[in-house]
Amino acid sequence: MLLPEYYGKMLLARAGITVPRGRVASNPSEAFAIATELGKVAIKAQVLAGGRGKAGGIRFAFRPHEAADQAADLLRRQVLGERVQQVLVEERMVASRELYLGILADPSTTGYQLLLSNEGGVDVEEVARDRPEKLHRLWVDPLKGLSTADASYLAEAIGLPPALANELASIISALYKTFVENDLLLAEINPLMMTRAGRLVAVDARLEVDDDALFRHPDLRELRQSLLEDWERQAQEIGVSYVPLPGDIGVIASGAGLGMATLDLLQLAGLRAANFLDTGGGINAELMRRSVQLVLEPAHVRGGLINLYGGINPMVEAADGIVAALRKLPQPKPIVVKLVGNRQEEAWAILEAEGVPVVKTVQTEAATKLLAELLRRRT
Amino acid sequence: MGILIDKDTRVLVQGITGRVGSVQTRWMLYYGTKVVAGVTPGKGGQEVCGLPVYDRVREAVEREGANASVIFVPAPFAKEAALEAMEAGLKLVVVITEHVPLHDSFQLRRRAQQSGCILVGPNCPGLLRPGVGKLGIMPGNLFTPGPVGLVGRSATLSYEVAGQLTLAGWGQSTAVGVGGDATTGLRLSEVLPLFEADPETRAVVMVGEIGGTAEEEAAAVIEEMSKPVIAFIAGRTAPAGRKLGHAGAMVRGSQGTAQSKIDALRSAGALVADSPAAIPGLVQRRLG
Repeated sequence: MLLPEYYGKMLLARAGITVPRGRVASNPSEAFAIATELGKVAIKAQVLAGGRGKAGGIRFAFRPHEAADQAADLLRRQVLGERVQQVLVEERMVASRELYLGILADPSTTGYQLLLSNEGGVDVEEVARDRPEKLHRLWVDPLKGLSTADASYLAEAIGLPPALANELASIISALYKTFVENDLLLAEINPLMMTRAGRLVAVDARLEVDDDALFRHPDLRELRQSLLEDWERQAQEIGVSYVPLPGDIGVIASGAGLGMATLDLLQLAGLRAANFLDTGGGINAELMRRSVQLVLEPAHVRGGLINLYGGINPMVEAADGIVAALRKLPQPKPIVVKLVGNRQEEAWAILEAEGVPVVKTVQTEAATKLLAELLRRRT
Repeated sequence: MGILIDKDTRVLVQGITGRVGSVQTRWMLYYGTKVVAGVTPGKGGQEVCGLPVYDRVREAVEREGANASVIFVPAPFAKEAALEAMEAGLKLVVVITEHVPLHDSFQLRRRAQQSGCILVGPNCPGLLRPGVGKLGIMPGNLFTPGPVGLVGRSATLSYEVAGQLTLAGWGQSTAVGVGGDATTGLRLSEVLPLFEADPETRAVVMVGEIGGTAEEEAAAVIEEMSKPVIAFIAGRTAPAGRKLGHAGAMVRGSQGTAQSKIDALRSAGALVADSPAAIPGLVQRRLG
């Protein structure tokens, strides 16, 4: 989960990194009040997509009523496809120089990669591609951690005056600590601004937390719950992994790789998936009933494919769940079930008694072709 | 021969008293696996499937001669459980548990490397050697002994491929599920040399998917192999920037796409199947 900027900055501030003074506003009068306190302000849409500045999601104001107007305008808009529900109103910083500082968890080396550049304020991937010599890297062994000496060594790589290099070294250490303590996958400060007064200030923050680690971060888990879209909350309640897609065929698969292959094979059969849904291992009747409902109920979905390998629970439960959901569908739609596993014969019988076509092999292609055929016959 | 498991593999199950652990232990035994003990802290002295349960891994190793572990404990405790197994000297540890935090997995892989342990997973179906035994949750009925080494990131998709190989008459020497997370203990590229060195294995089928660089790393190994490799990559139609079920299965920018993997594998000399159903035919073409 990407953290909203204001929340990321709160974590940075807690670690002792200087961030601009400011607060979140959900309406123009709150923005007015904050701007009255702070003077010249930036008003920043709290959306998660990158490139928000270029998309008009960051505004500036000299007076409180301008801040209120800008906030009102942003709060009416979508920025990069996301509706703006909050803006961050903070003191406007003037840069003498902009740096980039980032840490990322790198699965291929199972290490943490620290990145530092003189060229902040721009897309770091652009720097990495076009001017790789400007991006200084340091790999950290998670079992050893980051030493003070290594933090200083990295900080000295970009030619700052000694006092600032010292300050940068402590920011690097603080960011590393935040990264590890919060199970972050990514922590970027871009820009890390050197102000005219000679301070280093984190003007933007992009932090991503590992969803699998939320059990040890109750605050972040609560934040995540508050940010979930309706469909995400529904999928979470059911206990499945679900992603909407642009097509019109509902898909359920017991496993991520099988699910992805099912999408690919649907496309080979001339069909396009309306979603990805991975049930995981513990399929029971209720999970299956609600999953079928979730993927088949939308009006634009014209058919469905269910592709299951039974794990712990007997497949009879899956069949019961499918039948229960189909009986409640507002309009009947062609579906094909391919199902293999524990007590499969009984499961097939339950589905066939309900008139559901069943594919009894380990070939997903047989199921996608059959579904394409059924849909053709209908039209 | 086959790899990683043999008739001397004596398995202990960490988390044996849980629902999943106990059901899967029964199936491992039913498949003929030498499961010798279970471990659940605080439940020492109990019995599950007729096997003694101990509080600590070290006891199970000392009393029952266990030399490999399969872990079913919940994600918050998986790291500690795997570290305990490594500290007790086990050289093969299979973590079935899904949703293990990435920082934990980083530490586990590094600790495994330090202690010379083969760590499989997390978030994986484990290992199965047809006719010999299995460490994990693969359904035995889809597999049969034969010359094909099977390795994959995804569990159920690997079952589908195994089932089709079996139907086509191509049995398997060993099946290895490395797991769907962004970081896995044993990697695709590290399984391939094991199959290359195994006299029973004549060809390798590798089931990959989008996200990360595991398949590209595997391609570098395939270049040096004498045995044929047949691959399939799931997720060719997946949208960028979206996690599809597996934490590791996400295209970020131009990195991790199916096409980059397919290109790397083809230029390393692997045959890449367009669909799982095409795999047995490609095996036939190389071995027939």
